[in-house]
Amino acid sequence: MTDDKDVLRDVWFGRIPTCFTLYQDEITEREAEPYYLLLPRISYLTLVTDKVKKHFQKVMRQEEVSEIWFEYEGTPLKWHYPIGLLFDLHASNTALPWSITVHFKNFPEKDLLHCHSKDVIEAHFMACIKEADALKHKSQVINEMQKKDHKQLWMGLQNDKFEQFWAINRKLMEYPPEDNGFRYIPFRIYQ
Amino acid sequence: QEPSDDSQAPGACSTEEVVRYEYHVLYSSSYQVPVLYFRACFLDGRPLTLDEIWGSVHASYQARLQEGPWDTITQQEHPILGQPFFVLHPCRTNEFISAVLRGSQEHHRRTNYITLWLSTVGPVVGLNLPLSYAKLAPEQSRDAAVD
Repeated sequence: MTDDKDVLRDVWFGRIPTCFTLYQDEITEREAEPYYLLLPRISYLTLVTDKVKKHFQKVMRQEEVSEIWFEYEGTPLKWHYPIGLLFDLHASNTALPWSITVHFKNFPEKDLLHCHSKDVIEAHFMACIKEADALKHKSQVINEMQKKDHKQLWMGLQNDKFEQFWAINRKLMEYPPEDNGFRYIPFRIYQ
Repeated sequence: QEPSDDSQAPGACSTEEVVRYEYHVLYSSSYQVPVLYFRACFLDGRPLTLDEIWGSVHASYQARLQEGPWDTITQQEHPILGQPFFVLHPCRTNEFISAVLRGSQEHHRRTNYITLWLSTVGPVVGLNLPLSYAKLAPEQSRDAAVD
C-alpha cells in the first residue's frame, strides 16, 4: 500500500466546490446569502456542513428551524452516501460549483434517514467498515481491534486527518501473504 | 402488522397509541444471515423516531440494547426499496443461531432456520411469532445446516 500513497492522498483530499442556497420558502428575518464550501468527496454531508447550518440559522427564527436536509434539483440528497458519490450520481455533467439547496422544514421521511447527531453518522460509517471487513477478512481484523482503534478511524475521517485514519485503515487493507488476497473484495454499485 | 395498543373501551382516552408495524425479512450476503427490517408509524402516518423505537424494545432486552444501541437497532436504507427502515443488526446472529441449531441436531430435531431465527429476534422488536409456525409439518420445513 505504501507505493499507492500518492493515490490514497489524492482520493482522500478530493474536493467538490459547492454553493449552498437556502430554499426560497424558508421563513427568514432578512435575506440569506449563499454559502460556498469545498466539500470532501470521502465524507458525508451532515458531517461537514455545521458552518452551512450556522450561516443560515443566523437569518432565521429558532422556531422555523428543524432538522436540516439537502436537495439537488428537487431530489433529496441522501446524507449517508459519500459526498463524491452524490455528486457523481446527480451532478457530474453540470458546471461547478455544485448548487445544493438547504431546507429546515418538511423533512422527507420517506426518502432520507434522520441524522440528529454525529453519533448517527459514526454508527453508519462504522457499520459500513464492519460489513466490508466481513467480506475481506470474515470480520477478524475489525473484531480484533480495540475500541480506541475504531474511534481513531472515525476521528480521522471527522477531522480530515489522513495519517491518523490510515494508521488504522492499513490493517483493514492488508491480507496475509499466504492468502491470495481478500476473501471477497467489497464494493457497491449505484445507479 | 401488529397493534401494540391495549387501551380498553373504544373512544376512551388512552396514553398508549396504536402503532402499525411493517416487517421485511431480507438476506445479507455479506453476513450470510437473514436480517429483520421494519418500519413503524402511528395511525396518523407519523413515523416513529429512533428514540421511540428504542423505547419500545421489550423490557427483557432493554439492558442489552443500552449496552450498545448503535450496534443493535438503527435506521438504514432498505436495499431494494431504497427507503428508510429500522434494522436489527445481524452481526451477532450467527453466534446464537449456531448454538441453538447444534442443540437441535443433537436431539435429532428437524428445524426450520427462518422460524428459529424469527422467533428469536422478532420479539425484540414487537414481532411475536404464533406457535403454529413451530408446528409446521415435517415436509414443510427443511433441515438447517450448521456452519
